[in-house]
Amino acid sequence: MRELPNVLILGNNSLAAALRKLCSDSGRVQLPDGSRLEREMDVIVETTNADLAQKRANLASAETYAAGGDTLILSTVLGISATESASWLQDSTRLVGFSAFATIEKSELVEIAPALQTEESKLRQAARFFEALGKQTETVQDEVGLVYARILSLIINEAAFGLMEGIASPQDIDTAMRQGTNYPMGPLEWADTVGVDDIVAVLNGLHREIGEDRYRPAPLLRKLLYAKRLGLQSGRGFYTYPEERKFPS
Amino acid sequence: MVIRSVGVIGSGTMGAGIAQTTAQHGYQVVLFDRSEEIVNKSKAAIDRQIDRLAEKGKLSAEAAADVKGAIRTTVRLSDMQECQLVIEAVPESMDIKRDVFRKLDESCPGETILASNTSSFSITAIAAETSLPARVAGLHFFNPAPLMPLVEVVKGIRTSEETIRALLEFAASIGKSAVSCADTPGFIVNRVARPFYNEALRILGDRIATAEQIDRIMKRSGQFRMGPFELQDLIGIDINFSTTVSVYEAFYGDPRFRPHYYQQRMAQSGRLGRKTGEGYYSYEGTP
Repeated sequence: MRELPNVLILGNNSLAAALRKLCSDSGRVQLPDGSRLEREMDVIVETTNADLAQKRANLASAETYAAGGDTLILSTVLGISATESASWLQDSTRLVGFSAFATIEKSELVEIAPALQTEESKLRQAARFFEALGKQTETVQDEVGLVYARILSLIINEAAFGLMEGIASPQDIDTAMRQGTNYPMGPLEWADTVGVDDIVAVLNGLHREIGEDRYRPAPLLRKLLYAKRLGLQSGRGFYTYPEERKFPS
Repeated sequence: MVIRSVGVIGSGTMGAGIAQTTAQHGYQVVLFDRSEEIVNKSKAAIDRQIDRLAEKGKLSAEAAADVKGAIRTTVRLSDMQECQLVIEAVPESMDIKRDVFRKLDESCPGETILASNTSSFSITAIAAETSLPARVAGLHFFNPAPLMPLVEVVKGIRTSEETIRALLEFAASIGKSAVSCADTPGFIVNRVARPFYNEALRILGDRIATAEQIDRIMKRSGQFRMGPFELQDLIGIDINFSTTVSVYEAFYGDPRFRPHYYQQRMAQSGRLGRKTGEGYYSYEGTP
């Protein structure tokens, strides 16, 4: 019997934790740890979004665990495009971008995107990996945030601008969006749930990459980030949470 | 002041929906439009809606008769003097609204609250057409008014707290969740929802994903109930485009709200969504 694929998840954040859990729950991949990291990895997943220097260092170390040309490197594209991340690698053909928040467990679908340099077979390998975790995939073209994270971040940004301008209370903004247009969550509670840090990473990434004021993060979002009020993960974001709700359920 | 009679100005889709839902919650309603023919046609349509609710068992026959009896029609704006609250729901033209509010200002007693269902004009500007701006506010319903649970209560610069309180209470009394917001472009919903459509169009225009993919992703990754393109088809692409343009202009061209030319092309094409049988998707053969 062929051994289960070896997977290494890089990054110290809620998405990495959620992915490790999905991997072990799936029973279809294995997560070697510590000393067993010497063995060659089939899939390496890099999950850092805000700190691009850290992401670059992680991707460099990912290449040292890579087995010849066969290893797939999956890299989040919330703060940077797949193409730019791939440009940091010695073998840039093996990287595929993907977009997911820490709430990935609740998503049926994960978006994947090839970098300009990506080899076709790596894209199929990426789809198979997420399929093993029980997720559908949709392949889209590469740009910061891909589709869902980009659109959601802009909705949240607009709600944050509105809150900063005092158009309404946070509760009224959330109620209005849930009941006036049927959103599953209000944008401010949504930001707290997926993480204010990731929302700012998407906005900063789009702003840097596309260079338009359209993507400028609301000053209030940047302040929440400086104050480490990241939402559920830190107990406080737009709202304050009791201790027991501190981590995304 | 206790609100018993509510005037509704304009008997189009929004006015009729507001009149119906208000009458269903025990108020007397005076529904105005500019000709007998128009207002009678609208009243007949409301009566059919009420009958349908009775057929489905959502209203007793007796209650249905009461609701139908609670709505009377008029073509004289001066009849609004008997109402404690008047809700304007005429077409989105400042000329028409100015004319309505000036006449209401003359004929209604000073205590009567004058509300506008506008989604795109400044409440402050409408209030300034009257001699008592403190009693003028926004009361923004969503389409279809009898079903959508939200009402935005909008405070113009000179609107009094008392007016806002009375409108929040009124909205709750007709079973709506009311939020209060400042008089800013698009209020809450039409502003914060812009990127849902606009950024989806940008992503489509830049060929990052197709409309079908974007809709699928927003539903399956984001748990939105509808994707941005199917929702535009439902609302009407022309209606959605004109809201986008109006918010963009009201923000003096802030790039966050810049419309996409492709949405304009769709509106120009006459493929406006479900109502024309085709929009981003085809609805041939669907009723």
